[in-house]
Amino acid sequence: MRLTLFYTGLFLLLGTVLLAIVFVAASRGGAISVAVPAPVVHRELKLPGGIVINVPTGPQSIVTQQHNADLDRLLTISWIVLLATTAGAAVLGWFAAGRVLRPVREITSTARTISAGNLHERLALTGPNDEFKQLGDTLDDLLSRLEASFDAQRRFVANASHELRTPLTLERTLLQVALADPHANEETLRATCEELLLAQADQERLLEALLTLASSERGLERREPVDLAALAQGELRQLRPAIERRGLVLESALGPATTTGEAALIRRLIANLIDNAVDHNVDGGRIEIRTETVDLRASLTVSNTGPLIAPQDIERLFEPFQRLNGRRTADDRHHGLGLSIVRAIAVAHNAELNATPRPGGGLVVTVLF
Amino acid sequence: MRVLVAEDHGRLATAIAEGLRREGIAVDIAFDGADALRHVAVHRYDVVVLDRDLPQVHGDEVCRRMREERNNTRVLMLTAASTIRDRVEGLGIGADDYLTKPFDFEELVARVRALARRSTPALPPTLAHGDLTLDPARRTAVRGEIPLALSPKEFAVLEYLLGAEGRVVSAEELLEGVWDEAANPFTNTVKTTIGRLRAKLGEPPLIETVREGGYRI
Repeated sequence: MRLTLFYTGLFLLLGTVLLAIVFVAASRGGAISVAVPAPVVHRELKLPGGIVINVPTGPQSIVTQQHNADLDRLLTISWIVLLATTAGAAVLGWFAAGRVLRPVREITSTARTISAGNLHERLALTGPNDEFKQLGDTLDDLLSRLEASFDAQRRFVANASHELRTPLTLERTLLQVALADPHANEETLRATCEELLLAQADQERLLEALLTLASSERGLERREPVDLAALAQGELRQLRPAIERRGLVLESALGPATTTGEAALIRRLIANLIDNAVDHNVDGGRIEIRTETVDLRASLTVSNTGPLIAPQDIERLFEPFQRLNGRRTADDRHHGLGLSIVRAIAVAHNAELNATPRPGGGLVVTVLF
Repeated sequence: MRVLVAEDHGRLATAIAEGLRREGIAVDIAFDGADALRHVAVHRYDVVVLDRDLPQVHGDEVCRRMREERNNTRVLMLTAASTIRDRVEGLGIGADDYLTKPFDFEELVARVRALARRSTPALPPTLAHGDLTLDPARRTAVRGEIPLALSPKEFAVLEYLLGAEGRVVSAEELLEGVWDEAANPFTNTVKTTIGRLRAKLGEPPLIETVREGGYRI
């Protein structure tokens, strides 16, 4: 509506200007020469002496009169034509605007129907790459980000409620069995309480891991410059005792590798990769950590010796709650989420994650930022 | 009664096993699906308590394979998957009962006992013979008016013999049905337990030794 009024107003304005110019030019005389056989009109001319003669009046006044009449007619016709064409312009403009703005109406109606329930729908505008298509594509990007965010949240809720049931069952079973024991005494009850505390610490770690996974999937809150070498060094310092406890040989080559990202998340990524390399190693095995810049991109590689891994199992390792040998042990501090968190953080940073089995057994993981 | 608990969460598996053992039930544990299948192939269980989310071989697959091989051991599915659809699916795969986590331990025990009773032919909740009455759920045994103080194993052997309803039960069968895999088959455990049981049951004697066969009530 606004477009049509605007367009019609402009048309009216231009039309008026055009006709005004024509009118002014016409009234300046000479513009319209009307060859009209002027009827001779006599005028009585009183000469001194009382003689009255009839003098024919000149064609000039007739031309002037006719000129004025013509101008009047021109003005009238101009107004009529202007109004008519303005009306025509308004109608045509309405149709034209409707057609051109159809994408906008589509966007509006589609956007109305998209809600949390069907966030997978997209506008997917076709046509030339003009402002409308760009608007549609930008909105599609926005919807994708929203969908990812919603999905991450949904998965967290589903995972948490599912995974927490088993620890809850453990606690309830321990309590109920202890209470049902007819020979329960202070000692047995105390032992049960301590087991419960251990179980709850485990549960807390599970929740932490789930929350980290969810927030990694949500995307980055900020980007700051980070040096992978410095972060890796920090994590190695913390994890060195664990590495030594397993008698593993550590080789590190930490060349400068700068990129932008969220330092806390990248630190977690490095820590999880090192943890994984330590946990799935053999006694007396090796861990290698390398940071370097490859083709202007920061690269981090963690490799470890360990059991043989089939190539088809690699993908599964990065899924939540999947473990190679499958057994849920109390030793798994990451509750099967360690590598899924690594993948989520890599994806959030738009980094490339590659994992290949080592020929002699073990795993090589490379993250290219 | 002998039960297999198939659950991959180590601590939970041992907690459930402990609780069931206190109820006088012999329990074996399997930590993954492949191990569970191995156990049911080698031993006869009254009930298999099966977690659906098992590694190696998924719990559902374990149940399916058992049914395909015509193994009709009663299966109680245990799982965090709790929607109606999950339950329907689980029962459809061949489970006999379904408990969602978290559950009350009492309920687990009650359902396991209920399933164990449904062996063929189906057993009544309390077993009786002459003036002897045995209530497995309450863990009480009464002869005449006198309550008997039986150890868990003695109670279980008596329960098994009564459940056999006059059939001869060999020592091997008793070992298989009342003790778990940790028992040493070469000791005199069965004989000793029968002896103690006889002493506690008193006169007139109820347990008959059948030569080259076993025991019978």
